Formats: sequence, C-alpha cells, structure tokens
Amino acid sequence: MGKLLSNPKVLFAAVIAVAILFTSVLGGALGASFGLGFLGGPIPLIQLPAEYIVEIGSYQLMNTFVMFWLAILVIVILVFLGTRNIREVPGRWQGIFEAFFEFFIDLAEKAGGGRKGRMFLPVVTTIFLGVLFSNWLGTVPGVGNIGRIETVEEFFELKLKKEFQAEGDSKLAKELKKKGFVEFFETYSEDSHVAEALSVFFSEHGEDKLIIFSGQSGVGFITPGRGEQWKVRLNQIVEQPSDLTDHDQLETFIQQVEEPRVLAGVVPDEEQEWTAQDVEDGRVGLLVPFFRGASTDLNTTLAIAIFAMVSVQVWGFSTLGFRGYAGKFIINPIKDPIGSILGVLEMFLEFVKVVSFTFRLFGNMFAGEVLLIAMGFLLPLIGIIPFLGLELFVGVIQAIIFSVLTLMFGALAVIAHDHGDHDEEGHEAHAPEGAEAH
Amino acid sequence: MGDLGINLPGLITQLVSFTVLFLILYRFLYGPITRMLDQRADRIKSSLEAADRARVEAASSAEAVEKEMANARVEGQKLITEAQEAARRAGEQIQERSRQQAEEMIARAEVEIAQQRDSAIEELRREFAGLAVLAAERVVERELDAAGHQELIDSVLEEGLSSSRN
Repeated sequence: MGKLLSNPKVLFAAVIAVAILFTSVLGGALGASFGLGFLGGPIPLIQLPAEYIVEIGSYQLMNTFVMFWLAILVIVILVFLGTRNIREVPGRWQGIFEAFFEFFIDLAEKAGGGRKGRMFLPVVTTIFLGVLFSNWLGTVPGVGNIGRIETVEEFFELKLKKEFQAEGDSKLAKELKKKGFVEFFETYSEDSHVAEALSVFFSEHGEDKLIIFSGQSGVGFITPGRGEQWKVRLNQIVEQPSDLTDHDQLETFIQQVEEPRVLAGVVPDEEQEWTAQDVEDGRVGLLVPFFRGASTDLNTTLAIAIFAMVSVQVWGFSTLGFRGYAGKFIINPIKDPIGSILGVLEMFLEFVKVVSFTFRLFGNMFAGEVLLIAMGFLLPLIGIIPFLGLELFVGVIQAIIFSVLTLMFGALAVIAHDHGDHDEEGHEAHAPEGAEAH
Repeated sequence: MGDLGINLPGLITQLVSFTVLFLILYRFLYGPITRMLDQRADRIKSSLEAADRARVEAASSAEAVEKEMANARVEGQKLITEAQEAARRAGEQIQERSRQQAEEMIARAEVEIAQQRDSAIEELRREFAGLAVLAAERVVERELDAAGHQELIDSVLEEGLSSSRN
C-alpha cells in the first residue's frame, strides 16, 4: 500500500477520491445537519402511480409508457443490428443474440422435454428482453429528475379532483377537469361541496412542500445545491379562504394559486435559504419526471404478467386439449373430493401467479429507484455509483426470474394431469412455489 | 387500485405495447435466429458425418492401394521369373538349333566330301583304267598275254590310285 502511494499518480488519484468523498458527505444530507449540504437536491415526490406527461382527452400519457416505448425502440434497434445480415458465421451483434438464444433454447428444451420446449421460446425471450430493457433504461441518468413542473394550480386541480372523486362527486370532478381550475372556481364557488373539499384539501396538503425552481421555462430539473432548504410549504404561499362565496376572497385565492408568492407576514424558517423574492420570481411546484423506468409502473408489470400467464394457459390448452387442461382444475368432487379442492386451489394459484409476477418486478424496480434517490440525497456525487451497478444487476436478475418462471409455469402447464396420483400432484404444486421464493 | 396507479387505459396501453414487441421479435428475431441456428447445427452434423465417411473411405482405399501394390509386386515378380525362364528356354532352344544346324552342316559337308572323293576316285579310276588300257594296248601291241599282264595292270592301277590320292 505504501509502495502504491509513493507513485505520484496514484497518490494524486487517492487524494482526489478522498476529497470527493468528503465533499459528498458534507454536501449531502449528513452535512446538511451541520448547516452545509451544499450539494443536496430536494427529494422528489415519490409516489406509486406513474406521473402523466400530457393529457390527451381523458387519456393520460404516462412517463412510464414513454419509457416502455423507448425500451421497445432500443430492442428493435438491437434486433435490427443483430439480424440485418444474418450469416452462418456470426458478426458481433448476431453473436450476442445467438448466445442469448442458445441459453434460452437450452433451458426451454430441458424444461419442455426436447424440441417441444421450443414453443415457449418466443414468449420467454420477449419477456426477458422487454423486462431487461425497461429495467435498465430506468437507471439511465436523467430518468426521474428531468421533467415538467407541476404548478401550484395543477397541484390544486389534481388533488381536488381526487377529493371530489373520493366523495362521489363525479360531476364536480368532471367539471373541474373540463374547465380547468380557474374557470371552475369562478362558476362553482357557491357550491358548498367545493368549500368542503377545499378545507379537506388544506388540512391534508397544507404542509406539503413545494420545490422552488429557478428560471422561467416549463421544463425543470432538480439542481444540486437546492436541498430541502429550497422548499416552501403550501400554507406559506396560499391562504385558505374562509368564505368561498365572498367574491373578493375567491379572487385573492385564485390569484395566489395562479401566481405563487409568499404570504404577507410569512418569514422563511431559520434554516431555509429562499427569500420572498425567490418564490415570486421562480416557479413553485413539483417535478413531474418526463421519464420513469417502465417497470416502476404497476400497469407495465401487470401487463407483462397477464401476457405471460395467458401464454401459459394457451400452451396448456393447445398441448393437452381443452378437456385435458381444464381437467387439471375442474375435478369431479364425487370421484375425488380432495382432488377437486386442490383443483380449485390450483386455479386460484394461476391468478396468484399474475399478482406475484406483477408485484415482484414492480417492488424490486421501484425500491431500486427509491434507493438511488436516497443515495443521491445522502451521498451526492458518489453514493449512487455502486448502487447503479447493483441496479443493473438487479435488472438482469429480475428479467431472468420473470422469463424463467414463465418458462417453468409453461412447462408445468403442459404436463398431463395424473389422476389419483396425489404425490405427483403435490410435487407439481410445490415446484412453482419453490421457484417463486427468489 | 387507483392509489397503486393501476388503471385500465394504462394497462391496455402496456399490453398493446408488449404485444407489439412480441410480434416484432417473433417476426424479426425469433424466426431468423432459430432457423439459422438449426441450419448451422444441421450443417455441422452433416459435415461431421461427411468427415467420418471420408475418413472411413480413405482408410479403406489406403488398404485397397496397399493390397493392389502387394498384388502388383507379386505379379511383377512372377513376370520377371517367367521372363527369365522364357529367356533361358529361348537361349537353350537357339543353342540347340544352332548345334543341330552345325551338326547337319558338318554331316552334309562330310557326305559331300565323301561323294566328291568317291567321284574323284571313280574318275581317277576311270582315268587310270584308260591309262591302263592304254598301257595294255601298248603292251599288247607287244605281247598280248592277258593273264600275265593283269597283274601288271592292277599294279599300275594301284600305283595310279595311290599317286592320285596323294
């Protein structure tokens, strides 16, 4: 070690590394508690549902859809590179696909008993590639921290709409959506429901912190150095009107929402670095990322899981015939009472598989994203690096688990049901569970 | 479900997207690659078989060549011995024939010589007879005593013969 450090280049690199480490520790969340934290970004809003980028009619184009299409695009480009000039002596890209396919052909033929196993291949490989690339694209820098800024107005609109929907006021919700926030309030201000919803809104979201962005354009990103101390509570910029029927109060309220400024008399908290000027000049709102890893949306994982399990049923029916496959689940209770109960359980299990597929992938990838955000917050600059590697690894592992489990379920589905052999049955039922433990 | 972010439009969107991906991969990746892999496997299998066959063939043909060579060697040896034998026989025949010819020639020569000698003797005898007759005439001229003189004639003849012989 001493010998290594005597090399000036190594020494220099070591000093730089240590300096970066210190900077990141001090600049991050740890340093923030000592009044430093000059590098920390504000923690973006973490929510389970995907965020929408634009709303076309009533259809919301989510950021995860865009990422899924990007993943598909990347796959298609790779496929084009790999197969545009297919030869017996493979090129580099073709070799990658061949190695990949040979792995799965081998696996499928072992699981499916020889060449019959080939029928699993298209679905299984598609699942692998789809899941892998939607996982990997989620770790690309910029995904999750560049986006549209959701203004205070939109924030109100969305949360209020949800409030109305929860209350069963679908008419109000629709009206709010159609007219937009400002116009809606000018027309519906008399309605007591609105005033009620608004007060619920303030009690629930009044303490929500909004980020103060710099600049004026509509696209935002979270800049380092704008940590928690660059956030402002909703209560500090919008005052709850006591009476919505009063025209003046309504006007003031709408103005506050449209053009956020710090309420008169409010002083920033001690550790906060913004001034009233910053709130007035900048934009206050939440960051809605343009991109979000496709597998961090339950819609995506559920769609792939449904595709997988429908394929499994198709394989089962096409191999064993309708009676053969349905006979696995529907068993005459007079002839075989235990078997019939097990059959119902197995049918139920098919639906459970969809759910377990969905939440396994979603849970892993969503947790990974949160982990990356947390590490970026704790140790800016370097904290994210080892975890990026980990996330790439997790992405592959999840893709393998998803595709290989589909393969195994398929292999189990095409095995003919053995009547009266309960031992065999128990074994079959156990195999997927064992595999699911991953 | 809504709090989890699951909604029908989103689910349908992703299902459609995934199905599209599946169809694209099925058409452009799965088909060509597996076809190519199978083709290559077939080709490797068939070329291995061909190589095996070729090896067996080569081995058997080498054996055949070896056998052929041995045959040829034996054949050649036989031919050589035959040729030698034939040559020897031919030589013997020629020798025999020439000896016979020589003998014949000698015999003929001897016969000829004998004939010539005989004819010469005959001629001489005739000549001597003439001479003797001549001599006899002369004697007779003087005294014809045949009996007394026969002795004389014969001696003359004898003399003539021995002198012509010498």
